[in-house]
Amino acid sequence: MSKQPQKDKNFVPSRRSFLQGGLTAAGGAAVAAIGGGAALAAGTPDPAITELKDWNQYSGPGVDAAPYGVPSPFEAHVVRRDVPWLTADPISSINFTPLHELDGIITPNGLCFERHHSGVAEVDPAEHRLMINGLVDKPLVFTMQDLMRFPRENRVYFLECAANSGMEWRGAQLNGCQFTHGMLHNVMYTGVRLRTLLEEAGVKPAGKWILAEGADASGMGRSIPIEKALDDCLVAFKMNGEALRPEQGYPVRLCVPGWEGNMWVKWLRRIEVGDKPWQLREETSKYTDLMPDGRARRFTWAMDVKSVITNPSPQAPITHGRGHTIITGVAWSGHGKIKRVDVSIDGGRNWQHARIDGPSLSRSLHRFYYEFNWDGSPLYLQSRAIDEQGYVQPTKDALRAARGDNSIYHNNGIQTWYLKSNGEAENVEVS
Amino acid sequence: MSKFLKFTASIVLLGAAWATSANAQDADAGEKVFRKCAACHAVGEGAKNKVGPELNEIFGRVAGSLEDFKYSKAMTKAGEEGLVWDHDSLTEYLAKPRDYVKGTKMAFAGLKKDDEIANVIAYLATFSESAEQAAAEPDSAPAAAPVETASTAEPAVNAADAVIPEHGVYHLGREALPEEVAAWDIDVRPDGVGLPFGSGTVADGGVLYDENCAVCHGVFGEGEGRWPVLSGGFDTLTADRPVKTIGSYWPFASTIFDYVHRAMPFGNARSLSADQTYAITAYLLYLNDIVTEEDFELSNETFSEISLPNEENFYPDDRLEEANFATNVEPCMENCGDGPAEIVMRARVLDVTPDGDEENGAGGID
Ligand code: HEC
Ligand code: HEC
Repeated sequence: MSKQPQKDKNFVPSRRSFLQGGLTAAGGAAVAAIGGGAALAAGTPDPAITELKDWNQYSGPGVDAAPYGVPSPFEAHVVRRDVPWLTADPISSINFTPLHELDGIITPNGLCFERHHSGVAEVDPAEHRLMINGLVDKPLVFTMQDLMRFPRENRVYFLECAANSGMEWRGAQLNGCQFTHGMLHNVMYTGVRLRTLLEEAGVKPAGKWILAEGADASGMGRSIPIEKALDDCLVAFKMNGEALRPEQGYPVRLCVPGWEGNMWVKWLRRIEVGDKPWQLREETSKYTDLMPDGRARRFTWAMDVKSVITNPSPQAPITHGRGHTIITGVAWSGHGKIKRVDVSIDGGRNWQHARIDGPSLSRSLHRFYYEFNWDGSPLYLQSRAIDEQGYVQPTKDALRAARGDNSIYHNNGIQTWYLKSNGEAENVEVS
Repeated sequence: MSKFLKFTASIVLLGAAWATSANAQDADAGEKVFRKCAACHAVGEGAKNKVGPELNEIFGRVAGSLEDFKYSKAMTKAGEEGLVWDHDSLTEYLAKPRDYVKGTKMAFAGLKKDDEIANVIAYLATFSESAEQAAAEPDSAPAAAPVETASTAEPAVNAADAVIPEHGVYHLGREALPEEVAAWDIDVRPDGVGLPFGSGTVADGGVLYDENCAVCHGVFGEGEGRWPVLSGGFDTLTADRPVKTIGSYWPFASTIFDYVHRAMPFGNARSLSADQTYAITAYLLYLNDIVTEEDFELSNETFSEISLPNEENFYPDDRLEEANFATNVEPCMENCGDGPAEIVMRARVLDVTPDGDEENGAGGID
């Protein structure tokens, strides 16, 4: 057998690993994983070519070796990671999508970040019901089979937690876009319009709000205005073509396109129609934005225009030296499509248009690339997105000027990575 | 004489007793039951103490004997008097923790079903060497499960016999029964809509709170460790580090009732009756100086008398009025800013990126 890849699940570059081992230690897993050949003296034949490889000689496992396929063992470092000090207990906690390991716009199901408030509910679909009650002509109960008989839609939407980048309000804190921006995923959902279900029950004219409630032990509940409920909300049972993952709300979750992730109630079991909002814990104690004058904004639902460079970034240093270099990242807006992404390599002094590639869909991630010839000098990398409404991603300083340091949620400020001559990148803020 | 003396049976004896019953219990099912414990206990490789002690090698452990865990006096004493954890003592303790060890600080009402108790014990036994050896399980390799070829195995019905309801557009689903709506619709609004009939006093609530909530939220609501703070924080909302609590921040008292009734105690949600929830809500108001008399009774009738001080300080989202939301302003593309960019802040200065040894970041998510 050939050499096994490094399988250190907790591998994260940090100050210590950089200091101790420099790039070899820090970039080790990434480099090994992508098979980056060590520099060879000119004229020395590459053993990757001249030596006969096991996989070239012996047959591999047969078709059923893995009835449900899994990634190559060389990709073992591509995992969600958490930040243990953020919360009291892993049962009510969060982990982060490894954005720096992904490309295109779709997040693979197993890498979509998790946030739950009472652990992952393991729901038997045969015993799952969705109830619609309150101000309706007829309160109804649906089984999963009932739900799947309504007309279905397929839509790609991003989900971003309102607290994404929330740890960065007071300044650069976490080294890695997985941690600064990884409460984000982008998935193709299959489901039924919430509107269709509400019409089946018949919303009474007095019905101005809905309450969406989950079946988990936190009984997660959020109030949503009826206009949004009747607009684009989706009651989804598939993600990227397969059943929802348990940690994403199996067997059914709500999608509230463009709005904060907490409203996308998982394990959805009840929709109540009412004439006023419920003011539950997740829309009063949490998910309200404290302003510098001590007052607080409530019902801050929409996720604003935002982008981040995913490569290079602190967990994904440049290991190839100067020369042709690709900067890539993602951009998204809860207000529609992304119209343009600009990239700066000098900390926002001069900007160039990046190239958006792949589908451009409303309220979905967009993938951008910026290619240039790096001369090896240190750079301050930034990206700035503009959406189809004309909203421009603000600087962090502009946000702080308007909102102070304590509003936790909705930090869509421009991120800066300091790219050093050795290819290492660091989370910084610049003047 | 202590009532525990009869349990000082040697591990050998207990092993024998265990072996006879091992087959009936199901460690896999026990793993599920253990979720009721998991908010407070860890078990398995690398398990650490949480709110409760880690439970590796619990069989044969003298009660209250882990050196790095701070037990209640009652639990330490029970151990000194001879309580050793085995199949029988665990069975009794888990059924009624507070009856079995009076004064235990384990805020857990107990498991109601015998098979749940048996299964969780079987599960714990898989992390206890003494119990595992004694059980000497017979070869229990499960027969290979038949391969599922289809995901649904609904019994076939004659399609023509299916009854089609009259409601709606697609005639799908069925009418929800009033009992069903009542079972799930427990939400409570600020105007009191949804409050169940019932009542409870501050004094009653104090007793319930100490038993069920104080382990995590602290005796005064100050929060143990990183568990949420429920009281105090007055006049901190403009401070550098605001403390957002029921008293300092929450706009509505109905939220306390609703949330505690649906989600607390953590790990044993929906276990409190309406009366108990009124009492605990009253006590939380008392801890926050919203009510001051211990004999204050909160009920569906008195609820409307309560308002929270910070209610008026919430206002609707007005982000769109911020300067940075101006649309169609072409952003600067060249020679922006004054002079070259300089670093003003670095993540390394307070590097809290997880790498296994640094534990104290600032800020946090909610
Ligand atoms: C709300 C938190 C909580 C829950 C839930 C809980 N425990 Fe405990 N448990 C504790 C605490 C705290 C102690 C220490 C008790 C003391 O010192 O009085 C404890 C003690 C114990 C002990 C004695 C350990 C020793 O070292 O002597 C066992 C056994 C135990 N728990 C099992 C369980 C099981 C099994 C469950 C689930 C069915 C459970 N507990 C649920 C908090 C909890
Ligand atoms: C095992 C620890 C534990 C116990 C016991 C517990 N809680 Fe909690 N409590 C939590 C956690 C964890 C959260 C936050 C949950 C989340 O992240 O959604 C919480 C949240 C709360 C909140 C909301 C706090 C806020 O600022 O939004 C209230 C109120 C509360 N608990 C009340 C209670 C009451 C009343 C009891 C007793 C009946 C209780 N809790 C028992 C762990 C606990």
